[in-house]
Amino acid sequence: MSRFMAVALSGLCWLGSAIADEAPISGIVKFVDLAAQTLTLESTARGKTRQVVVHFKPGTRIVKFIRSAEPGETGFVEQALTLAELKPGWIVSAEARHERDKEVADVVKVVLER
Amino acid sequence: MRSRALMLLVGSGAFLALALWIARPPASLANGDKDHEDKGGHAHVPAPLEYADAHMPLGAWTDPAMIARGKEIYAVRCAVCHGDAGDGKGPAGVALPLKPSDFRAKAGVAEMRDNYWFWRVSEGGQVEPFKGKGSAMPPWKGQLSVEERWAVMAYQHTFSGHLGPHVPWEHPASLAMGRDIYAMACVMCHGAEGRGDGSVGPMLSPRRAPQPRDFTSAEFKFRSTPSGQLPTTADLLRTVTEGVRSSGGPMTIGLRGHRIMPSFRYMPAAQRLEVIEYVKSLNRGFWERREIKTIAVPAAPPVTHERLSRGKQIYADAECLACHGERGRGDGPSAPTLKDNRDVPIAATDLTKPERFKNGARPADVYRTLMTGLAGTPMPSYADSLDPDLMWDLVHHVLSLSRQGERPPKAAER
Repeated sequence: MSRFMAVALSGLCWLGSAIADEAPISGIVKFVDLAAQTLTLESTARGKTRQVVVHFKPGTRIVKFIRSAEPGETGFVEQALTLAELKPGWIVSAEARHERDKEVADVVKVVLER
Repeated sequence: MRSRALMLLVGSGAFLALALWIARPPASLANGDKDHEDKGGHAHVPAPLEYADAHMPLGAWTDPAMIARGKEIYAVRCAVCHGDAGDGKGPAGVALPLKPSDFRAKAGVAEMRDNYWFWRVSEGGQVEPFKGKGSAMPPWKGQLSVEERWAVMAYQHTFSGHLGPHVPWEHPASLAMGRDIYAMACVMCHGAEGRGDGSVGPMLSPRRAPQPRDFTSAEFKFRSTPSGQLPTTADLLRTVTEGVRSSGGPMTIGLRGHRIMPSFRYMPAAQRLEVIEYVKSLNRGFWERREIKTIAVPAAPPVTHERLSRGKQIYADAECLACHGERGRGDGPSAPTLKDNRDVPIAATDLTKPERFKNGARPADVYRTLMTGLAGTPMPSYADSLDPDLMWDLVHHVLSLSRQGERPPKAAER
């Protein structure tokens, strides 16, 4: 019984940390490093502002949302961007995972270009 | 037998939990429900002073042209996060840690006052408390004019389904905290409807002025706005914070510092602003006025013998002494006949006792009083008859009438 409880508790802890690690990070783009394939964001959460370095991997997508050009369609469609097209000052939201002390992005969504 | 008792215990516990859940008090600002604040960029804070008077024109909320203009701006600037349907589920918004507002949520929209809404659109998530919560909302004040921001608000408001103007008297929920504070701290003197007819009022200063303010009237004594206009929110905050100095009847015994209205300086500033928003809601004039001009108080020139002498001459020429007396003791020839706009006798202020100046005794306070006058009392505004330099001369003279008043520096100090 106690073994079962220990396994269940460990599972819950792992699930909790996994969910926490996948929380999106939003912030203002401060710096883009094409060589290192990273993006530095100024992000504020729970009253604290910090600089977060978001790492890119080969499959990471960067998208912005534009109005559909199709006749009769008014909704938003995704438009793919490259890391080089991201500009300091833009507001983005990164869906990232915590891997070996790094924030590795799956998708970066542009909230505002400015 | 044992398992039956256990089942009975578990069943009773479940029933008790269900009963407590059903009977829980309704969520409100007053009982500290803040759960929904953590889920979105919404926070129960009053708009700061620089936005507190930014009330949207009443007609703009339902003006079809304004709404159409707002729809165009919304589609380009806001829909990517807030969604075309106003549900807070735009494609860029769904990935944000702090969810964009859902304008279809009637209760949430009803809690937002127009000045708060305008502040949010103007400053976005770049100001506290939203910045600390991680809001990604952009500030639009640099890109949208005041009218464009109003237009966006008018369009966003349509998602809630509310058809009238978005004003506090249509949405009492937006004033819940202020109303509770008013009921505890103000109603005794100012009355349930803010007409200055509370049960304690007559005992404050029996059959004499000052009487508690009637918030529904257009006359507010203590303002930085020109004569005949309503005060700014900052003016009201100053009065609530400082209280009103005056000797009064039996009910004022014990009020510190000769105050007929107590100082609420120890009440948190946010709560003072909440109660002021409630007070403003009692007078629609705050929503009907457009441009607000305030009287600037220039830097005080140094006190010199020449200025004091000139101030004394102005004091005589402007007939201040008719009410306040030659020595400023409030014993001028007209003093016994003075009445306020409620036709109750009013005393001319004894200028030798600055601790009893109702509108404050700092040089800037006296300057402001002379510029604005005290609405509803015989004290006129001198804004049209004295330029700022001469006004300061008069201020220096008035403040020199008290024993501890202003004096020019002695020769050795110069």
